[in-house]
This record gives sequence, structure tokens and C-alpha cells, in this order.
Amino acid sequence: MSEALYAWLIWILPLIGAIVTTILGKFEKPRDYLAVLFSFISAIFATLLIPSAIEGKVIHEQVEWISAPPLSIKAGILADPLSIIMANVVAWISFLIMFYSLEYMHGERDLTRYWFFMNFFIGNMQLIVLSDNLLQLFFGWEGVGLASYALIGFWHTDEQKYWVGKIGQRALGIDLAYSPSHAGMKAFIYTKLGDISFLIGLLILFSFSGTFEFLKLAEDTSWVKELSDRGLLPLVAILIFGGAIGKSAQFPLHEWLADAMAGPTAVSALIHAATMVKAGVFLIARLGPIFYLASQTANVSPFFETVAWIGAFTAFLAATQGMVSKEVKKVLAYSTVSQIGYMMLALGVAGLSANFIIGYTAGFFHLMSHAVFKAPMFMGAGALIHVTESKFMDEMGGLRRYMRFTFLTMLLASFSLAGIPPFSGFWSKDSVLKATLYANSPSSYALFSLGLITALITAFYTFRMLGMIFFGEKNNSLEKVEEKGHKVREVRPMMWIPYLVLGVSSLILGLVGPLIESNLEHLFGGYLKESFKIEALEVVDLSFIVMASSLPLIAIGSFLGYQAYMVRRIKVDKIFERSSFVRTFHKFFDNRWYINSIYYIIFMYGILKIANGLYRFLESIFDKSNDALALIIVSFSRAGDLFDIHVIDRAINGTASLSSLFSRIVRKLQTGITEQYVLFFAIGILIVILFMLI
Amino acid sequence: MVLPFLIVGILASFALILPGIGFFYKGFKNTHGWILSLIALLASLALLLTPPAYSLIQDQTISFTPSLTFDSLGIFFSIAMLMVSVFVVFSSYEFMKKEGNIAQYYSLILFSSAGMVLIAFSMDLLLLFIAWELMTIPTFVLAGFNKKAFESNEAAVKYFVLGTLSTGILLYGISLVYGLTGTLQLNEIFKILSQRALVDPLSLLASSLLIAGFGLKMAIVPFHMWIPDTYEGAPTTVSTFLAAGTKKAGFAAALRVFLIALPLKGLLNEWSLTFAFLAIITMTLGNIAALTQGNILRLLAYSSIAQAGYILIVFAIANGGTKALELGVSGALFHVLNHAIMKSAAFLVAALVIQHSGRADLDYYNGFSNRAPLTAFNFTIALLALAGVPPLSGFWSKFLLFTAAIEANMIWLALAGIVNTALSLAYYALIIKRMYIDEPQDNVKMPQPLAYTFILTLSTILIMFFGLFPDIVISYTQEAAKALIP
Repeated sequence: MSEALYAWLIWILPLIGAIVTTILGKFEKPRDYLAVLFSFISAIFATLLIPSAIEGKVIHEQVEWISAPPLSIKAGILADPLSIIMANVVAWISFLIMFYSLEYMHGERDLTRYWFFMNFFIGNMQLIVLSDNLLQLFFGWEGVGLASYALIGFWHTDEQKYWVGKIGQRALGIDLAYSPSHAGMKAFIYTKLGDISFLIGLLILFSFSGTFEFLKLAEDTSWVKELSDRGLLPLVAILIFGGAIGKSAQFPLHEWLADAMAGPTAVSALIHAATMVKAGVFLIARLGPIFYLASQTANVSPFFETVAWIGAFTAFLAATQGMVSKEVKKVLAYSTVSQIGYMMLALGVAGLSANFIIGYTAGFFHLMSHAVFKAPMFMGAGALIHVTESKFMDEMGGLRRYMRFTFLTMLLASFSLAGIPPFSGFWSKDSVLKATLYANSPSSYALFSLGLITALITAFYTFRMLGMIFFGEKNNSLEKVEEKGHKVREVRPMMWIPYLVLGVSSLILGLVGPLIESNLEHLFGGYLKESFKIEALEVVDLSFIVMASSLPLIAIGSFLGYQAYMVRRIKVDKIFERSSFVRTFHKFFDNRWYINSIYYIIFMYGILKIANGLYRFLESIFDKSNDALALIIVSFSRAGDLFDIHVIDRAINGTASLSSLFSRIVRKLQTGITEQYVLFFAIGILIVILFMLI
Repeated sequence: MVLPFLIVGILASFALILPGIGFFYKGFKNTHGWILSLIALLASLALLLTPPAYSLIQDQTISFTPSLTFDSLGIFFSIAMLMVSVFVVFSSYEFMKKEGNIAQYYSLILFSSAGMVLIAFSMDLLLLFIAWELMTIPTFVLAGFNKKAFESNEAAVKYFVLGTLSTGILLYGISLVYGLTGTLQLNEIFKILSQRALVDPLSLLASSLLIAGFGLKMAIVPFHMWIPDTYEGAPTTVSTFLAAGTKKAGFAAALRVFLIALPLKGLLNEWSLTFAFLAIITMTLGNIAALTQGNILRLLAYSSIAQAGYILIVFAIANGGTKALELGVSGALFHVLNHAIMKSAAFLVAALVIQHSGRADLDYYNGFSNRAPLTAFNFTIALLALAGVPPLSGFWSKFLLFTAAIEANMIWLALAGIVNTALSLAYYALIIKRMYIDEPQDNVKMPQPLAYTFILTLSTILIMFFGLFPDIVISYTQEAAKALIP
């Protein structure tokens, strides 16, 4: 079999798996195992492509899709180092999470739906990764979205135990706790907004360049000039970036991800941590080189500036919310948003610097390491929720003695998240921070400092989370759980093996971290040179400066978290009581900076009210004019009566219907409002005529 | 060239024979009418799809009378519209089982179909008008076919009042055109009008009246008011026929008249704004109204209005250059075909449910996937295709239309279309959510008769096939577009 065929199979197999699952819906065991098997085979094919990625080969195969001049669109796969590495990350994490689901979802209702959408998701995600053109990528993009909404709302019965958020918490009068189906709807609306922007950008790009293919866009850059002559270039790039903002939950469309935690935890791990939310980053990684090429002939820096600033700001915004959240999954969700912010930051500054490759590699390296350490954290959190029957961290505590493997995994992954050397998160975060310093922009230092502060906060909330869950005394509520006969102890191996594997991988990835970084840089350097003619320029190595500034801050964050929540020498409660400053900020962060509430007030209630008001207003106008018309008609016919002519009546005799025209006042006939329609019709013609005369 | 006559002849003669048989042969049953009208429709479709028809086009448009043309555009429209007739007749096997006057029912559908085919091929305003009436008048009767049901009568009356009004307006518009140019042939009209240097108010008035006249059938806001009431009240198969079939005839006529005869191209820039404005309010109003409906028929009616808005984009971009127009016409034709399939499927599901339970409220669809799994699946595909979700066929036609709008420098129009598409997904998704997620009121299995299942599955296959391999349709619509673009 050729390598191109592998690349096709990687995304087609899971889709076939989804169909097979539906067919086997009645036979539970074979259905479940086959579903996992399909994701496994797809992962094997992904692995088979690794050698060609290392060689730096680009596998590109196309088939005719539409060939009707002037329209010519080909479908195809593009397996270059970028997509092969991404495909492997997606494939293997998906497989492990599918395996974990066997146990985690055991005994739930409607599992056919679950397996269908999981495989459907994997297939579409791989379609995004392996597409050779934007349109096909968009197909996958919509597909993963569909799977995401369906899976967030999987527990559709909306019992309160499935809700996300603390029930009763309100900010500015808006509830902050949501049912799964509400959360699904919310994800739908937010990401759809991004998709609209993406699609419009895509179509504009297409109408100027005549192609959707990445390689052609890079090859023939005449479209750049045409777009920039009309001042549309940064706009189109930012419109496309809008799709990434929605999908990857970046400010200002970040609000949906925290509430998407209402879905089953396996779903959160797969879709809302490791893969789908990275699709936005991947999109920018795909298009970044093309826009960077464009920057040689036109001004694209507003685009890259936007990407960098949105990334940096989101990283900070979400980290502050992670600091105060009490739900374990929400902490992880905020942290995901924040870490994706780092990736965006790296890709943004890459485009602003003379050496594109450093930032590009940093962003992608952070994507990989985040996927590897965040997925096990979610899976571990799923196990914790399963055992303690609570999603609130203050109802856990002291669990390190009872759940050793989970503790070990969470510890390894958390070190990586906090950025403690030599875990993978340390290396990748440092390379992101380093990349900001190379940016050829006035905001370079501001971005760097924002990234540093976020690193401190990240270390703090990571230790806070670990401390609250695993340290201190066993919480009272756990005893209540035990009284019910549900023993607090480690979950079964089928659950912990997958996440322990990933946890250990993040350690290994970290031990060889510098090696991976330089290899990736080499690989991408070669690839970008080959495919996009982007050269690597020699630059001064700043690693030491970055390390010297980031390590102390990470140490401070970790130490504070350690003191306050692990050994608990700093009494958090007392500080909270004494300092109104802390309380104010705590409230501000806990209410999500009020952004969520403001969105609800403006967009949901505000627009509904305006629309309603407008509707009423128009209604009353139509009513009045209708009455007036009826009155005129009636008086005419009265006048007719006087002269005993009955002109109108006679003219319409036989068509009993027309008499209803005069019925509104004369007789209250139930057939009702036909005359109103006729009126509209007349008004309509008038409008059209008026419009054309203008 | 004989082909259009042949097809109209076949359809009309069957339509004439049917009531006669029904009158003399007392044992006339639904099945007989069903078979006879299917024969007529399938024979016509076969004639249109056979190779001789294609070879005729290859040899460019032969015409032995200037009033009638035989081009790929007409063939395309006829195929789309006759397909709807086949769908409607096929499912009537179940739907009309217990009704009386069955021979007349099928006969009226055939008459109306003959009218639609004639519209698709006519190049002359007088012929167009006659064909228009041939199509419309039978549908008045059909809408009121349930003569004992109050709603059906109300639907027919409303439809009739507005329908005759629009016919009158259409005729007035045509007479103005004749007065201005002294001819009724579309090509001639263009020639004469394009010689005039100035735009005179009379030709504007004539055009406006024509928009209003066709607009009623095309479901353009503000000429849309009758639609929800009529679709709701008429027998559901007839609603299907109106929504998916006769509406397309409105577009066929409008495309010919506005793109060939009236100087849309180059002479009147205001036109594009007028149509863009109509397109935007039509789709927006349709979608917003659909969001709040609790009745499946009204919801589908409003969604049908919204879909008309998308197709209207093609008129708005007529000034935007040849490439834009080519893409736009191609997209509009593709959307006409898609809409014929998707809307028929959606309406026929509603017909099945109404026939079985008498209910059209959305609540009845809760847990529908348990009660009728295959129907629910087919319905889901049709709804997703209506929403333009890739990779179903509905995506491609919208893609073409929006690309055309951007090509014609009307990015805002494409934006409005895309926003509306997203908006429409909301109410389609809510129905799907009801069917698959919400708890049903009862769990009684619903029968899924073969007549419905066959048509619904066929439409699902077509939707998926055209979605995955759009090339087949697009290369044909591009060909057809050439009939309009010199």
C-alpha cells in the first residue's frame, strides 16, 4: 500500500467505524470493541507515516471533485511533517480515550450515539488535519463541531447532577450554572459565530485566488497583491482567524468552553482539551506560512499582531479564572483556554519576527506537549469525579492515600502544566516565551511580560488544584459517600492505565524536551524551506535569558500554591477574611470578569427585547393601516349602496372569497386576515417601485 | 424540438383521460390513478433524460417557433419539477387512500405539471402567461381538495385571492411590456429595450409588476403572506407540490424574463440593489419567523420562504460580471434542484405523520427516532441539507451562490446569506434534537408505509450523492447557465 493511501485511510476508517457502530447498535459488546478497534487501526496507519515525516517528504494526492469551468476544485490529502505529527497526536490520544471510555461509560444509556459521535469526531478531526485545501478542511471543521454539540449534550436528561457550575451562583443577575443541553447550545452559538467569519473569509480568499489549495496559495501569490490593493488582506486573514477563535475558545469567544464541561469527561478530554480545540491552532499553523509569505509583499502584520495579542490576553484572562474555580473540570478547562492562548501567541509572534521558524516550532511544540499532559489530567479528573461523586474540589481532599495511580498521573501532568523542569511543559512554554522576544514589534516586551505573569499564575493554580484534591484531610462529604457503600478507592486498571501511559509520556517527552525542540525546529525548518521557501535566519540564542526570568516566577507561583494548599501553612481563609482587596478580585475572577453575564444581557435578553418591541410596533402599524383600508373600502361600498350600484359586489360575485375582503368590520368572519395580505401585497409593490425609483 | 410538445401532450392527455375513466368506470381506485399518472410522469422524465434530448442541445437551440425553445435550462427545470410531481404522486398512494374524487386529484396534478413544463420552455410572454395559468388554476382546486375541512377551504380561498391578484398584476405587467416594445418574445424585447438610451418610468413599472406577479409564486417577501396559511391548510401532498414544484416554476419564469428579456445586464444598476434588498429581507424574515413556529408545516413554509431568498441572490448579481453570473445561475439552478428534493422529503415526512396521527405540532416529533427510525433518519438528512451542512447537497448550491455574490463585489450580501444559514441551522437542529434526544410522549411504533419510505430513502440517497459528487450537477448547471448568458 502506498503512503498516500494510509493518509486517506486515517480519516476514512473512523467514519466507517461510526457507520458500523450504528449498524451493530443492538449488540453491545461487539459494537463497543469494534468502535475502539477502528480508532486503533487508524492510529496504526498514522504511525506508519512517521518515517516519511522524518525524511521531510510531502505526500500529496488529489482526486477531481468539481471540474466545471470556471469552477475547479480538487479533493486531496496533504501529509507533510506538520500534518503527520498532528495526525499522530490526535490518533493516539483518541485511541487511549476511546479505550478509557469502555470502562468510564460502562452502563450508560444510548451508547450507540456515544460511539457513533466519537468515531465521527475522530474521522472529521483527521480530515481537518490531512486536507490539502481549505474547503475540505471546512467540511471536517463543521463535522467536529456537530460531534462536539452532540456530545456536550450527551446527558440530555439535564438532571442537576450533570449541570456545570455552582447552582445558584449569579453575576449581574445572570445564572452561572448551566444544564448540559444549554451548554451544548451555547457551544453551538459561540463556535457558529466563528464559523460564519471563517466561511466568509474563505470565500473571499477563494474568489481572489481561485483556489482553496494550500500549496497553490503558497505557490502563486498574485492574489496577495490584488487583496492588499483593495485593503482586504489583513481583514480576510482576521476573518479566517475568527473561525480559529471560535473553535479554540479564544477571547472574545472563549465563554463556551468552560460550560462545555457538562459533557462526559472522556469527551472533555478528547474534544475540549486534546484535539478539537486545537483545530484553531492547527488552522493558523497551516495558513501561517502562507500569510508570512504574503508579508514579504504586503502588510499583514495587523493579522499577526491580532493573533499574538488575542493569544496573550486569553492566556492571562483564563489563567486568572482558573485560579479561583472550585470545580476540577473547570480549572482544567480554563487552563486549556489559557494554554491555547500561549500557542496562538507563539504563532502570532512568529509572523512578526525575522525568523518564522522559532515561533512556529514553539507553538506546535506547545500544542503537542499540552495534548499529552492535558488529556491525562482530564481522564484523571473523570476518575476522581467517578469515585468521589462530586466535581467540586473542596469536597475532595486527602485522596493521595487512596488513589495512588491517579495521584501519580496528576502529579506528573501537573508538573508539566506548571512548567517545572524538566517536564515537557517547561520546555515548550519557554520556547513560546522566547519566541515573543524575537518579534519585530513594539509590543514584543509587553507580550513577553504578560506571558511571564501567566506562567506564575499557572504554576499557582496547578498546585492549588493538586493540593485541594490530594492533600489535607479527607473531606466530610467523602465519608458520606462511603456511608452509602461506595468505597473511596482507586478505579479499575482499565481506566487508570490509559492516563498513566499519557502521564508518563509527558515525563519522557520532557526528559528529551530540548532534543525534541531542536529536532522539530530542524524538521519544520526543512519543511518550510521546501514548501514555502521560508528561510531560517541566524539569531542570537536567548534561551538563557528566558529561563532566568521564567524560572523564578514559576518557582514563586509553585511555592505559594504549595504553602497554601499542600502543606497549608498559609491560611487562605484568613487572608480572604482580612483583605477586601483579595475578596474583590476573587469575586471578579469567579464571576468570569462578568464577560459571560454581559454577553447574556446584551445578546440574549437585549436583542430579544428589541426584536419583540419592533415586532409589536410593526404589528400595530399594520393593524391600524389595515383598519383604515377596511374603513375606506367599506365607505366606498356604502357609497355604492346609496346609488344602488353594488359595483364592487357584483364584480366579485361568485368569488365568495372576495367578500371576506370587507369582512373585518362588517362581519367578524373567522377566515380572517386575507385582506391584510392583500394590503401587504399592495404595499409590497409600492415598496419595490419606490426602491427602484430611488 | 418536438419534445416539449410531446411531453406536454403526454401529460395533458393523461390528465384529460383520467377523469373520463373515473366517470365511466365505477371501480376506479386510488391505485389506478396512481399507476396512470406515474406512467405519464415517468415517461416524460424518461424522454427528458434520454440521450436524444442531449444531442439536441448539443446542436444548439433549434427553434421552429420563436415562442418555444428547447435548451438545457428548460430541461433542467422540467426535470426538477417533474421529479417533485413524481414524489407527490408516489406518496399519494398512501395519503389519498381514503379520499374521494381521486381521478380528479391526479388529473389536476398532471395538468399543473404540464403547465410547469411549458413554463420552463417558453420564450414568449403570452405563452408564458398561458402556461402560468395552466399551472396555477389546478392548484387552487387542489389546495381546497379536502372540501369538508375548514382549514383546506380557508387555504384555498386565501391562495385564490392572492393568486388571482398576482395573475392580474402579471398580466398588467406583460401588457405594459407589449405596449412599450410591440412584441412578446423575450429576445426581441431585449433588443428593443436595449436600443433605448434612457430608462423610462413605464418600463420600471412593468418590471416591478412582473416581480410582484412572479414573486407570489417564488415566495418573496412581501408577497409571501399566503404561504404559511395555505401550506398548513391544504392537503399535505398538495403543499409539497406547491412548495417544491410550482414555486420552482416561478423561478424558471423569472430567470428567463429578467435575465433575457428585461435588460438586467448593464442597463439598470438599481436592479441589483432592489433584488439584493428583497433577497436579504426574504431570507431573514423567513428564518426568523421559522424560529418561532410550533407547527411543522408552518415552519417548513417559512423555511421555504427563506430558501427563496437565497435563490434571489442570482438576480442581485446579474450586473457583477460574466463569471459571477455564471456561478450565480449555476448555484441558483443547483439550489432549485436541491430544494425540490429536500423540501419534498421534509414535507412528505410531515404528510406521513399527519396521515397517521393528524398532528402537525412539533411536540409530536419528540422521540420520533424510536417510533420511526428510518423516517427520522431520512428527515434528519433532509433538514441538515436544508441548513446547508456539508457534505450534503444543500451546501454546494449555497456555496456557489455566496461565492458568486463575493465575485460580484457584494460581500455584504454573501455575509447576510451566511449569517442566515447559521440562523436556520438553529431551528432545523431543534427538530433533530426533538427526534433523537427528547423523551417521547408515547412509545408506540409508527407504521412506515413503503410508498413514503421509498421516496424518502431515494431523496436521502440523492442528497448524499449530489453532496459527495457535486460535479455531476454542477457541470450540467454550468451548461444550462449558458442558455441565459450570451
